[in-house]
Amino acid sequence: MLFPTIEFGIFFLVVFAASWAVRDMPELRKLFLLGASYFFYGWWDWRFLGLLFLSTLINYLAGLALERTEHVGFRKFIVGVAVVAGLSILGFFKYYGFFLTSLSVLLESVGLSRDLPFMQVILPVGISFFTFQGISYVVDIYRGHVRAERSLTNVMLYISFFPQLVAGPIVRAADFLPQLHRPVRLTRAHIGVGVVLILSGLLKKMFVANYLATELVDPVFFDPTVVGALDLLIGVYGYAIQIYCDFSGYSDIAIGVAALLGYRFLENFDQPYRAASLQDFWRRWHISLSTWLRDYLYVPLGGNRHGEVKTYRNLFLTMFLGGIWHGAAWTFVFWGAFHGSMLAVERYARRQIEFFAPAETAPGGLMTALGNGAQHLVGIVWTFHLVCFAWIFFRADSFATAGSYLAGLVRWGETSQYVTPFLVWLIVIAMIFQFTPRHLGRWLAKGVQHLPAPLLGLLLGGGIWLIWAIAPEGVAPFIYFQF
Amino acid sequence: MLDLLHEIEREFAGHPEEEVSEAERLAVVETRRSFRRMLQALALATVLLLFFSSERLVTWVNGFEVGSVQDAIVSVSTDWHSLMADAGFTMPAETVRAELDELHGADWAELRRRIERERARTRDGVRFLRGAVPDSKS
Repeated sequence: MLFPTIEFGIFFLVVFAASWAVRDMPELRKLFLLGASYFFYGWWDWRFLGLLFLSTLINYLAGLALERTEHVGFRKFIVGVAVVAGLSILGFFKYYGFFLTSLSVLLESVGLSRDLPFMQVILPVGISFFTFQGISYVVDIYRGHVRAERSLTNVMLYISFFPQLVAGPIVRAADFLPQLHRPVRLTRAHIGVGVVLILSGLLKKMFVANYLATELVDPVFFDPTVVGALDLLIGVYGYAIQIYCDFSGYSDIAIGVAALLGYRFLENFDQPYRAASLQDFWRRWHISLSTWLRDYLYVPLGGNRHGEVKTYRNLFLTMFLGGIWHGAAWTFVFWGAFHGSMLAVERYARRQIEFFAPAETAPGGLMTALGNGAQHLVGIVWTFHLVCFAWIFFRADSFATAGSYLAGLVRWGETSQYVTPFLVWLIVIAMIFQFTPRHLGRWLAKGVQHLPAPLLGLLLGGGIWLIWAIAPEGVAPFIYFQF
Repeated sequence: MLDLLHEIEREFAGHPEEEVSEAERLAVVETRRSFRRMLQALALATVLLLFFSSERLVTWVNGFEVGSVQDAIVSVSTDWHSLMADAGFTMPAETVRAELDELHGADWAELRRRIERERARTRDGVRFLRGAVPDSKS
C-alpha cells in the first residue's frame, strides 16, 4: 500500500476516525494501531508478518533481560546476541544472493569454480528500517537512555507503526516510547503540521519525482552511451532532485500522518543541497540514518576520541557500512566508500586551513563579508557536485553503466534529446526550494492550523485534486522501498 | 516545523502540578474539537475528490481483479464518472491538464516564441496605456 494511492487514503480515513474514537481507552487504541500497522505491512506480503514479529520479540526479550541484570559482562552479551540476531536476519534476506554471487566470481577468477547454494530470496519491505529500530531499542536500554518496556504491545507498535515501517524515518525508542505513555493529544498544531507535510510530500513525490524519473532520469541512465553530455549532466542533476523529492516526500507524508494520529517524529531532511560541506550535507540528508550511524557505529568505533588517523578510519568505516546498508551491490559500496573518503579528506583539509590560516574572530568589514559569502557559495556548488558524482554510482545498475555515464560527460557535440524547458524548470524550482527560509514550513503550518473545518477541507481536497491533475498517471514505487 | 509539536509537549509538561488537571481537561477538550474539525475536513476533501477527480476513481477500480463484486464496483464507478463528466465537474481537471500538457510539450523554440508573444503583448499594453495604439473597439 503506497502512500499516494486511494487504497492508502481509505485506510488512513478508517484508522484516523477509529483511533481517535477510542482515544479514551489508550490500551485499546494502541492495540488498534498495532493491528492497523500489521495489516498495512501484510498488504505487501503477509508471509513476512512472522519475521516482523520475530524481530520485535528478540528485541523485546533482550530489553527485559537487560533490565533484570546489572552484570556488565552479561549485559554486553545480551546486547551482542540481540544485535547479531537482528543483523543475521537482515544479512540473510538482503545480502545472501550478493555474497554468493561475489564469492562465485572470486572463486572463478582463481580457477576454483564451485556449485554454490544459490536460492531466490525475496527482500522483505522495510527490513533495514525495522532492524535498525530494534537495535536502537536494545542499545538505548543498555546505555540507560530508555527503560525496557514491559508491554509487548508498546514495543511492537514502536517497531511496526505504519507511517515509518517501510521506509523510515528511523525512529528512536527514546523519542517514541515516552509518547506511548502520555495521553495522546490532537491539537491545532498537529493538524497544521500534518496537512502541510502531507500536501508537500505528495507534490514532491507525485509531481516532481515522478516526472523527473520517467522523462529524464530513467531514459538517460538506461543507456548513457547513446546520449550527449548535456543530457547526462542534466540527468544527474535531475536524479539529485528526484531522489530528494522521492525520499523526503515519503518522509514528509510519514511525519504528517503520524502527526494527525497524535505522534511526533523527528525531521528527516533539512534542505540538504544548500550544504556548504559534506559534513553539513550529512547533517541535513536522511538525518535519522546519519544520526543512527553516528550514535551506534561511529561513536562505538571511537569517534574522534583517539587521534586524527583513527577518526579518518572511523569516518570511512561508518560511511562504507552505510553504503552497504543501502543495498547489496558494489555500486552502493563505492558510494559509501566515496562519501567516507571525502568526509575524511574534508576534515583533514579543514584542519590544515585552520592551522595555516585561522579564521578571523573579530568582526570584519564589507570585504570580509563578501569573501565569506563567496567561500560559502563555492562550498555549496562544490558539495552539490561531489554529491551528484556519488549519485551516479548510487543510481547506475553497475560499474559499467556508471563508467559509461562518466565517459559520456565529455561528449558535448551531440544534440540534447531530453533537456526540455519543462524538466529544466522542474529542477530549477526544486533547487530554489532548497534555499527558501528554513521556517517556511512552520509559517505555513501556523497559517493552516487556524483554518476552520470547511476551509481546511477545501485546502486538503483542492490540494490533492491539483496534484492529481498535474501528476503523471500511475504511482511509481518509492526509491527507498528497495532498501 | 516539527518544533511546533515539540513546543506543545513542553508547554504541557511545564505546568505546575496543581494546574496539570486543568491543563489535561483543556487538552481533552482541544483534542475533541481538533478531531471533529479534522474529520469534517477529511469528509469534505473526500467529497470534493469524488466530484472533481472521478477519473482517478475509474483508473483505480480498473486495476481490480475480475469478480462479480469488483465488476459491480467498476460499473458503478464508470457510471459515476460519466455523470460527473456530463455535469462538467471533470472540466477543471481537464483544463489544468491541457495547460500543463502544453507547457510540458513545449520545446526551446516554442518557449522563445511564447516569450516573444508575451513581450509583444506587454509592449502593446504599455503603448495602449500611453495612447500610442488606437483602441479598435472604440
